[in-house]
Amino acid sequence: MQKILWGFLSLVSLTVCLFSAVGYFLGKVEASQYKLIFLVSSFGWFIFATLWARQRKN
Amino acid sequence: MTRSHLSSITSRMDKLYEFDREPVLLQKLHSGGRFAGLFAGEHVAATEFVIGAFFVLHGVTANDLIFGLLTGNLLAVLSWTFICAPIAIRTRLTLYWYLRKIAGPGLALIYNLANAILYCILAGAMIAVSATAVGLAFRIKTPSLSDIYPSSVGWVLLTLAIGLLFVILAILGFEKLSRFAEVCSPWVFVVFIAGALAMLPRLGVHPNLDNFWQIATNRIWNGVAAAGQDKFGFAHIMFFAWFCNLAMHVGLSDMALFRYARHWAYGLYSAFGMYPGHMLAWICSGIMVAAVGREMNPGLMAFEAAGLAGAAAVLIAGWTTANPTLYRAGLALQTITPNWPRWKVTLAAGLATTVLSCFPVFFMRLLDYVAIYGLVLMPIGAIVFAEHWLFPLFKLEKYRAEKEGWLLNARALAVWVGTLLVCFLLPIHLFFRWLPGYFIALISYVLLSAMRRKPEKNKHEGKATKKNKDGDEDQDRPCR
Repeated sequence: MQKILWGFLSLVSLTVCLFSAVGYFLGKVEASQYKLIFLVSSFGWFIFATLWARQRKN
Repeated sequence: MTRSHLSSITSRMDKLYEFDREPVLLQKLHSGGRFAGLFAGEHVAATEFVIGAFFVLHGVTANDLIFGLLTGNLLAVLSWTFICAPIAIRTRLTLYWYLRKIAGPGLALIYNLANAILYCILAGAMIAVSATAVGLAFRIKTPSLSDIYPSSVGWVLLTLAIGLLFVILAILGFEKLSRFAEVCSPWVFVVFIAGALAMLPRLGVHPNLDNFWQIATNRIWNGVAAAGQDKFGFAHIMFFAWFCNLAMHVGLSDMALFRYARHWAYGLYSAFGMYPGHMLAWICSGIMVAAVGREMNPGLMAFEAAGLAGAAAVLIAGWTTANPTLYRAGLALQTITPNWPRWKVTLAAGLATTVLSCFPVFFMRLLDYVAIYGLVLMPIGAIVFAEHWLFPLFKLEKYRAEKEGWLLNARALAVWVGTLLVCFLLPIHLFFRWLPGYFIALISYVLLSAMRRKPEKNKHEGKATKKNKDGDEDQDRPCR
């Protein structure tokens, strides 16, 4: 169950990374906001993907 | 070097590769999905930040880029599928062990050393790419396109510091870092896509993309080469995409991977690495470099495109590419350093790599270096291909080096060195030299082997002896 959760959250983080850039391209978010969202969701990806990879290994 | 000394080195090398000496067992074969994942993860690396950007600086037009990448990557996928994978699944061996049967342990040793040196230079270039990201924080100027030697003390100190850090981390935990690299690669790919997307408004692309092609042809891939750079066309791009992993497909070093494949058609899974990594990522880095005024500075490009996360992506991509490269170089060098523990060999290879990374020529001439890397190792692939497929056609005896206990197959060495000499002298662009070189190596190895064919009587005697011993004369090793 935890594995699915971490996998889901890591995918969400990666999707947010991508959509922050789409939002900036479409003029919906400012450059500074886009970069901050990208940075925070990148941290999210590394945390959740590492947890997911660890669960998968176990 | 005496014969006994060489024998002792090669026996040490055999011990290092002992774990993959036997053909892969049937139950250990991998699924196609695993190959797709492996290729997808391996081909989005720090080099992609540089290669796509260089295409822009070399004045490629948008049409040449797209069609060149489509065809070149297709040729690379077909090379994995029709050249590398079939030999790998018939032998189920790594190139090291198959080359040992064909060319003797001496040549396998020389091949390993050549590979180690080339790996060190590649890892050095990756350290330099990472340095461009860290250098932003310290306002250290990135060397210019024409620089060969370090341009400032700051650059030397920076590359030395990053190189030493990478080496220490590689010594402390190669396997943990490899697992970390698996986590990194999808994110690095997203950085490429997001970075390019975020740079489009700066280039003047409208949100509805109606002027994208106009901007692409006029402001990004506009056909104008930067000062001092050759003008590239369709053929350059196609050949580059094809030979970018020449040592792996035509050079057969990916036999190590495909010996786990259920079918030769698994070579087609390489498309999962080629089209996202060697097409989309190169296009994205081209967009990013155009948006920063065509300055070759991967760190700056990524920082402008995605902020701190972008700069971190360049650093991490350089690190995760340099890490396995340092490990492989250390493994190859361990053969000539008797009784040295792995950490000591990795340290020695890493220090040499770190010194190389100070020289911007390896990073600023990365496209040429990639061409030379493939070219140097390509003749070995041709020799193995000839012995595997062409020898039976011409009724030539296979694996004489193994059967007769040769330390080194002199004909293979002569073909390797001779092919490289001819390629060096060929009056064509560096990118195109490997293809005639491949056919020269194939034909000359078959001809030289035919000229030195054993007399019939001895040949039969030899066969009888061998058959009595293990009964599988001239058969490829089956999958067990």
